[in-house]
Amino acid sequence: MIKVNAMSLTYPSGKGVHALDFSVARGEVMGYLGPNGAGKTTTIRALLGFMLPDSGSCTIGGLDCQKQAPEIQRTLGYIPGEITFIDGMKGDEFLSFMLEMRGLSDQRLQKQLLERFELDPRGSIRKFSKGMKQKLAIVTSCMHDPDVLILDEPTSGLDPLMQNRFIELIKDWKQRGKTILMSSHSFEEVERTCDQVLIIRDGMIISKTDIQTLKDTRRRGYLLSCDDAAAAEKLLRHAGFEVSSVDDTIIEVFITGDRMDQFIKTAARCTVRDLEMKQQSLEHVFMQFYDKEYDDHDL
Amino acid sequence: MICRPLFKATIRKNRSLFILFLSVLTLYMTIMIAMYDPHDMEAITAMLDLFPEQMMSAMGFSSMITDVNSYLASWLYGLLMLGFPLVYCVLLGNRLVVKMVDDSSFAYLLSSPNSRSTIILTQGLYAMISIAVLFAALFGLGVLACSVAFPGLLDVQGFFMLNVTTMLVNMVVMMICFFFSCLFNDTGRATALGAGIPIAFLLMNILGGVTAEAKVLKDLSIYGWYDPISVASGNTEARVNLWYLAVALLLFAASILVFRRKRLPL
Repeated sequence: MIKVNAMSLTYPSGKGVHALDFSVARGEVMGYLGPNGAGKTTTIRALLGFMLPDSGSCTIGGLDCQKQAPEIQRTLGYIPGEITFIDGMKGDEFLSFMLEMRGLSDQRLQKQLLERFELDPRGSIRKFSKGMKQKLAIVTSCMHDPDVLILDEPTSGLDPLMQNRFIELIKDWKQRGKTILMSSHSFEEVERTCDQVLIIRDGMIISKTDIQTLKDTRRRGYLLSCDDAAAAEKLLRHAGFEVSSVDDTIIEVFITGDRMDQFIKTAARCTVRDLEMKQQSLEHVFMQFYDKEYDDHDL
Repeated sequence: MICRPLFKATIRKNRSLFILFLSVLTLYMTIMIAMYDPHDMEAITAMLDLFPEQMMSAMGFSSMITDVNSYLASWLYGLLMLGFPLVYCVLLGNRLVVKMVDDSSFAYLLSSPNSRSTIILTQGLYAMISIAVLFAALFGLGVLACSVAFPGLLDVQGFFMLNVTTMLVNMVVMMICFFFSCLFNDTGRATALGAGIPIAFLLMNILGGVTAEAKVLKDLSIYGWYDPISVASGNTEARVNLWYLAVALLLFAASILVFRRKRLPL
């Protein structure tokens, strides 16, 4: 459905994307992960037809993203990474305006979505909170029942409850056979919605994996407090885990997705006082993943 | 092919700007007409003679004024009807395109099934029409005010042609602003050129009127291609009008072309 062929798009600063190659099949939900400045938004700009690539091409549903942008837009839903609505409009005015711009008049889906996200669109958009603006952008992107959705960090600014609502929405759309490309820098969000994940860094796709592999690769740190930390460390090390000692009573154990069960069973042999998951920054997680990729492919 | 919902939204969004400028110009026009005294033109001429001649001719004020047509052409259409609309053109030109590209709300216009050409055509058409409506309103107002204050004194035909030519030169200014609004992605550069070039033309027109040697400046300025007093007295400048129209349309076409091809950082 979405096809990107050897596409390069370089800015005068030298940044951009280089020889990008990927495709998203019909009905697939593709996560698009990468740190800030990696080229996620640039890819999306090319797909939306805002920027002509220097070389290569991209198509959606067989239509060229630059030459046939208006036709593509008929069945495309888009959430910009940086959302700015048209100045001076009220929320409900904006929704009607966008429907009219598409030549549509059916407001049923729009009403359903507003209820789903508990959004009252009346009032000036300028006075909306960040979360309300994000909700308005979500409703705008879906209210014409598009076949393809391109979402640039769709849940930023939403509270956890609404993030869950959004994830449910994506799952619904997925069941109805929509094709979705969703950029994000949240592993959790991608983990819960996507089938496949593309990882981009410095303008190059460094990996395309299915979600299970990503989960397995992902290494979590757990802080384990025991009566006899030294013994526990030895035991776990013996079982093949990566362990480091934090202080006399606490050790840190690193676990990849598929070894959780083994870890619990091994740790159960000690007297456990506390077990805590260590919060990891996204950069940290990325670094781990990238390092692994470097090892695997010897890039 | 224009985009109707966008056109409607553009009208709604820029209505107050239009009303503001129409009100200011209406105010000036009414005051100017009220100040005209057909029996006492000698007094005005005498007052003008108090000022240095160069200064007066720079401002486009001629001491040859006797009838109401030349009075309006010189006092109102010589500078005010160029300067105020210039500010309007700069503000409107910015609002129609580059401001929305700069703050990236333009992404929403393009995420509808309308091509870039359609959107720019719609915005540019609003710009041209609003200038036309502005001068149509001012023409109507002038005729009305004169017929109330001095029935039968205004040569409506001449006054109409004066409004046509002034409208056309302002359309050129509008399209200069619009072109730079389409060319650049940031408001700063678009304003610098969109406002700078017409202001330079206006200054050249003023300075060119001071002495005979400086007349070349006036000839180079788009504002200097016609003499308002002569047009108001019934000498239609058909060729100049056509030139203005051609330049405005050329700039409009160029605006669409540059916008179609460029990269938009949305």
